[in-house]
This record gives sequence, structure tokens and C-alpha cells, in this order.
Amino acid sequence: MSRRRERLGLGLLGLVSPVLVLCIWEFASRLGWTNPVLLPSPSQITAALFALMTSGAIAGPLAHTAGLFVAGYVLAVLIGVGIGIAMATSETLYGLLEPLVEIVRPIPKPALVPVLFLFLGIGKATMLTLVVLAAVFPVLISTFQGVRGLDPVLLETARTFQVSRARTIVSIILPASLPMILAGMRVSLGLALVIVILAEMLAGEDGIGFRILDLERSFQVRDMFAWIVVLVAMGGALTKLFDIAERGLVPWRGRS
Amino acid sequence: MRKALVWLGLAMMGLVALPAAPAPAADLEKVRISIIPIGDVAPLFAAVQNGYFREVGLEIDTTPSAGGAAGIPGLVGGSFDIAYGNVVSALLAAQQGLDVKVIAAGTNVTDPKLDATGIFAKSDSGIKSGKDLEGKSIAVNTRNNVIWLYARAWVKATGGDPERVTFKEVPFPQMEDALRQSRVDAAFMVPPFSIVAAQKGGLSKVGMPYSDVQPGVDVGQYITTGKLLAARPDTVKKFVAALRKGIEWYNANLTNEALLTLISGYTKADVALLKLAPVPTAPVRSDISQIRKTMQLMIESKLLPAPLDLDKIVDPLAR
Amino acid sequence: MSAMDGLAGVREKRSSRRSGPNGMDRRAYGFLLLAVLLSFWELSSRAGWIVSAYWPPVSHIFAAAIAQLAGGEILLALASTLRRAAIGYIAASVAGIVLGIVLARNRVLRYGLLPLIEIVRPMPTPAVIPPLILFLGVDDALKIFIVALASFFPIFSNTFTGVAAIDDTLIQTARTFRTSTVRLLARVVFPATLPAIAAGLRTATSLCLVVAVLSEMIAGSSGIGYYLVETQYAMRPDLMYAAVLYLAATGYALNRIFLALEARMVPWMGRS
Repeated sequence: MSRRRERLGLGLLGLVSPVLVLCIWEFASRLGWTNPVLLPSPSQITAALFALMTSGAIAGPLAHTAGLFVAGYVLAVLIGVGIGIAMATSETLYGLLEPLVEIVRPIPKPALVPVLFLFLGIGKATMLTLVVLAAVFPVLISTFQGVRGLDPVLLETARTFQVSRARTIVSIILPASLPMILAGMRVSLGLALVIVILAEMLAGEDGIGFRILDLERSFQVRDMFAWIVVLVAMGGALTKLFDIAERGLVPWRGRS
Repeated sequence: MRKALVWLGLAMMGLVALPAAPAPAADLEKVRISIIPIGDVAPLFAAVQNGYFREVGLEIDTTPSAGGAAGIPGLVGGSFDIAYGNVVSALLAAQQGLDVKVIAAGTNVTDPKLDATGIFAKSDSGIKSGKDLEGKSIAVNTRNNVIWLYARAWVKATGGDPERVTFKEVPFPQMEDALRQSRVDAAFMVPPFSIVAAQKGGLSKVGMPYSDVQPGVDVGQYITTGKLLAARPDTVKKFVAALRKGIEWYNANLTNEALLTLISGYTKADVALLKLAPVPTAPVRSDISQIRKTMQLMIESKLLPAPLDLDKIVDPLAR
Repeated sequence: MSAMDGLAGVREKRSSRRSGPNGMDRRAYGFLLLAVLLSFWELSSRAGWIVSAYWPPVSHIFAAAIAQLAGGEILLALASTLRRAAIGYIAASVAGIVLGIVLARNRVLRYGLLPLIEIVRPMPTPAVIPPLILFLGVDDALKIFIVALASFFPIFSNTFTGVAAIDDTLIQTARTFRTSTVRLLARVVFPATLPAIAAGLRTATSLCLVVAVLSEMIAGSSGIGYYLVETQYAMRPDLMYAAVLYLAATGYALNRIFLALEARMVPWMGRS
């Protein structure tokens, strides 16, 4: 496990290579090796980023993207866990839903955009649905697997003691399958981020995804890179948050 | 396990080995062009079909890009030698310091009778002008592009304040549905979508931004980079000459069934659908005074901070 | 077992455990539900409940699907998408497995490269497409690179953590036999990490297809992603939906093929 600590805390030494890369990039730009219209230097991007932050222009799109992400992700987790448990504990529901799940799941979600436009219009409802559709399946499947993989003795015991179904789910099934649920949630986290950006690009009026596409179309490359930096920071922060939450919830489990 | 690995390897090699593109014929210089699969580029395809490019030693390799979004970025990225794109994108690219050159005219709108584009609204909405649209919304395919610019100009020209109108991004194929479901109050549509929408009833054309605002507007052009123009001037000259022959054939065959079959071939649209729209004539030369007017509109809409030197952007070849 | 494979693995175990008359029969309800939904779709379009140029009756879509197959066009589009996905996937697998093993075993390289990888990892793929177009154009180079980029991270992370989790005794034992480093990596570390690598590869399998389609939709010119956009603009929704159908079938088949291969190649892994 000592290796794990190293990985999480590379410390100051870990900064060496990123700083080195930035320096080389900066020099390449200053010496004119790269086309400044296509690839601005780190200092130019930093300046653009600074301008974004001081002018407060960063707030709106960031809030939009973060809001869409949180709403979509939370909904996807709730639905995924709910249906996952339902399908794992009821044969009837399993039989009813399995073919539908197996048909919808492998469809690359971007392909569903025209259908969503038709029924939900172009805007929030479509974006949210897209995020939920993309993020729900990993949670659903791993919840299902987690619950089905539980020790039958555990459930038999609950039945012997005549614990109610709802109670069994809340106090036995849910905690016991939590590690699997979290594994699915981790996969969903990455997917949800990707789809949030995509949804904003396709159906957004605001948000970081919309900004990046808009700036690319008008060839404002510096600001575009500044937004990408914001996005990377946001993605990194969310992943870290998830790590911390997971360690808090399932302390006995290492990173998967 | 080993057997499975071998099979997996073979399957993957099979996929990798699939040919990416047919090899070009010998002795012909290959020119890669980004196009938008709509009627506008019919003269180019006519020139290809009639062998005009082969006659001058060029092999044309077209890459469609829906809506043209990949055109100029792909040109800059080196995927294309020439891109068909709209005038606003070209000027925006030039303003950001990209070295783009207009080398040939593509599409203009001279005859209102042949202008199938238009702003549509529900017939029972009572919307007739830009003034009526204040506080309401208009669907445009992309903000900050040619459609958006002329929708704004039309609102202004018909008594409205464009700042008080919401412009919503809706892809062309979805505009009719958005309009009928009252998700937007008006939509700037182009054929074939505008034609289909008008046919079904319930929607009416309330304005023609191109024809109403700026008759003769140069909407689309063929664009290349200054670097390529300097490095392969003869190639570009040959391309423009062959394209002009294509334009002449096109203008002489506007009502010919063969033209519709040609368009249907690269757009995948049904000939029956294409028959519904009038086929406009294509310009032989770019009109720099028209491009200047567009630039003026862009400055008014704050897309451009200051005028650009159009003599540098529009190459003499195009004029 | 990971979140990316289906309900299938468990189902097999389940039906053997509880092979009553119910097991398969209950799925009939599921297919019945599908049939009801599809008939509802058919009816809504024919009866005019939903009026749109983009809502054709299901029967038209099935007809289009058959016609597409006869024309061969859809197969070409699928093949070109699969080709890009496969090249990107293979490149990502090689890079991900090699880097994962090497970085987990070599401190200097870990300090040099891991921070860079960690920085790029949370970047959503669609966000990098616009800047990449400016460098790589819109051809295969762009699409394959994006597929490789997206597929790399799950493979790398799984390999890396897999190697890190190997029992130290295993390596110490190999060391006492004076095994060379390369041999150690190839004969001891790699096989011991195989289940973890397989999990990463599986996640990447479904990702690579989605990302290939996505890149074709944004910067299109060929492949199934572009076909979806193209048929939309040509007002041929029947062709579009039929293409989605083929795409879903392809995704499903890829997953099943992977599971079958995995079962043969990592036999000791055991399901779940």
C-alpha cells in the first residue's frame, strides 16, 4: 500500500514534469516554433484565464455546467440504484425490464439526440435526459451485480427474522452492495462529465461546452484554451471529491 | 487461449486493413475540398461529373461536413486544400489572424423569386415583422454565423430591435418541429427544410432575410489559405477555371432533371423532394461590394471590432 | 466484473441456480413490453398523434434497415467506424498496458509521467475535439487519436492499480531466482495483472465505439456517426433510425465478443 500513498501524494516532485512541459511549450511559442493563432503560449492562456476570473465571466458557464452535471449525475445514481435493486430482487421486474435495458444500453447516446430534440425540445430537458441516459447504466448494472452477488445466507437470515422488504433493502442490501455501487458510480462520473459537455455543445445556450464550441467557431483560440483549463480543473476536483467520499463510505476498500 | 488470441489478432488486422480511401488516378494532382452537402455546391459536382477537373489535371476529393462546421478549421488544420464556407466564417477567421483567401464565388441570392430561404412563423401567430418578434425567439442554426447575422439584420430592417429578440440555436432538421411545438416563435430556414415546412401548412413565410436585407448577397465562397495559394498558385488557378466551367454548365441546366439527379447523389435527398425547390443561379465571380456590406453588418452586430482589408482577403482570382 | 458488462454474466449463473419454469418465461413479459412500445410508436406515427418529419412508423425503419443491408452502404459506414475504433483501441491498449506496468514498477518514470497523465485524465473528450481539429484536421488522424485518448485512461488506470496490488511475495520470489526485469514483467507481473487489464480493456471496448461515433458526428465525413447526421439533413429519418439500430447491435455484439474472449483468455478470473 506504500505505493498508493506515493501515487496520491507525489508531492512537489510531481510538479517537476508538468512545469517542465509548460516551460518547453512557452519557449516553443516565444521562439515562433508554433503558430500562435492555433496554439497560444501558456502565459497567454493564463492571461486569458485570469481575465475570465477577474471579470466574473467564469461564473455563469461554470455554474451551468456544474448544475447540469450534479442534477444529471444524482438523478442517474438514484434511478440506477433503484432499478438495479428492483431488478435484482424481483424476478418479474427483471424479466420485464431486461430486454429493454439490453437494447437501450449499447446505443451510443449521442445518436439519440434527434429523438430527444423531437420530444423534449432543445434545451434543459434534452440535456438532462442525455446525461441521465449515459450515466445510469453503469450504476444500474453494477448495483444489480452487487445485489445478486450478496451472500444468500444474509438474505435468508433476514427472511427468517421476518424483516420487512423495505427494511431489508435499506439496512442489509444497500450497505452490503455499496462497494459495487460505488464502482459503478465511478465509471458513471467520467461518462456524465463527457456527456454534460457534449450536451451543452449540441443543445446548450450556455455552459463550458457551449463556450468552447462557440469560441472555436469564431477562432478565439486563447479563450477556448482557458475554458478547457477550467474544465480540466473541474473534472479533477470532482474526481478527487469522489475519491474522498468513497474512502469515507467504504474505508476498508482500496481504490479499484 | 492462444487460439482465441490468434482469432482476435486476425479480426483486428482485418479491420485495420480495410481500405481508407480509393487510390487516386495516376498523373492527376489531388485537391482536397471540404463541402456542405447542399445544393450550393452543385456546380462543383457538375464540374467533377463532366470531367472539367480531369481536363486540367486535377483530381477532386470532396469531404462533406454537415453545416460546414469542420470546413475552415479543417482547412487551417491541413485536412483540406480548399473549403466551401460562408462569408461570415471566413471574415471571422481573417479577423483572428488566420490567413484565409476567397478564391471563387459559391452562392449568392439575386432573385427573390428563387430565394427559398426564409423566416417562418406559425400562420396563426400574427407575426409579420421583426417588430412583432421583440421579446420572442428566432431559431438559427448557429449563433454568430451568416444565418444569425441576417436574421438580426432582418429584425432590424422590419422595425424590431435585435437585442430584444432571443436567438436560439436549433439545427436545421429540427427547426420545423421546434416551430410547430411552439418552442421557438420563428425560424430562419433553408431548403429543403423550408420547402417541406411550407408545404404542410400551418406555417408561413414572413420574410426573406437575404433578399429583403441585401439583394445580391454573396453567401458562400470557396476559401483557401494564403500559404497554399503562394505554394501552388497554378493548382488554384486550374481549380477556379474548371469550377467556372461547372458553374456555366449548372446555370445552363437549371431546369434539367440531370442536375437534380446530381444533387440527389451527394445529398442523399430524394429527387422528388428536390423538385419542390426552385434552383437558383450560381455566381461566376465574387462581388466585393456585397462582401463589404456583409462586413458592415458584422461590425454593427459586434462580430467584428473594425473593418478588414477585403482586398487582401478576396483574391483577384475570385473577382 | 465491471460496470460495463451487461446483465448477462449474472443471468447465466442465476438461471442455473434457479432453473424453474419462471427463468426464461419472465423475459417474455419484457419482449411483450417491447412489442407494445413499438406498436405504440407505429400507431402514434400512422394515426398522426405525433406529426413530425422525424417520426416515421417503425415499419418504415425496419424496411429501411433491410434496404440498407442490401445496398451495402451501411456496412461500409460501419466498417469505417469500426476500423477507426479498432486502430485507436489497439494503440491505446498497447500504450496503456505498457505504461501502466512500467510506471507502476519504475519510480523515476512514475514521477515524470504520472502527473501529466493525471492532469489530462479528467478532460472530457468532446472538449478537446475543437482544438484538435485545428492541429490534426478532420481526417482519420483526429478520430483515431480521440478514440485512443479516450480508451487509454481506463486501460492505463486498471493496469497501474493492478500491478500495484500484486502480492510482493510473488515478486520477491521471482527476484530470488535472479529473474531479469524484462522477464519478471512479462512472466510474472503481466499474467498476475491480466484480470485487472481485462477489466480496463472491457471498459474501453464500449467507450471506443461511442467516441468513434461522436468524433464522426462532430467532424464528420464518413462512418456511421456522419451517416446519422447526413441522413438527418437529407430528411431521411427512416435511414437514420435504422442506422441507430445497427449501431446498437454492433455495440451489443462487441460486448458479447469481448466477454467470450475474456472467458477463454482469463479463465481463472471467474465471473464476479
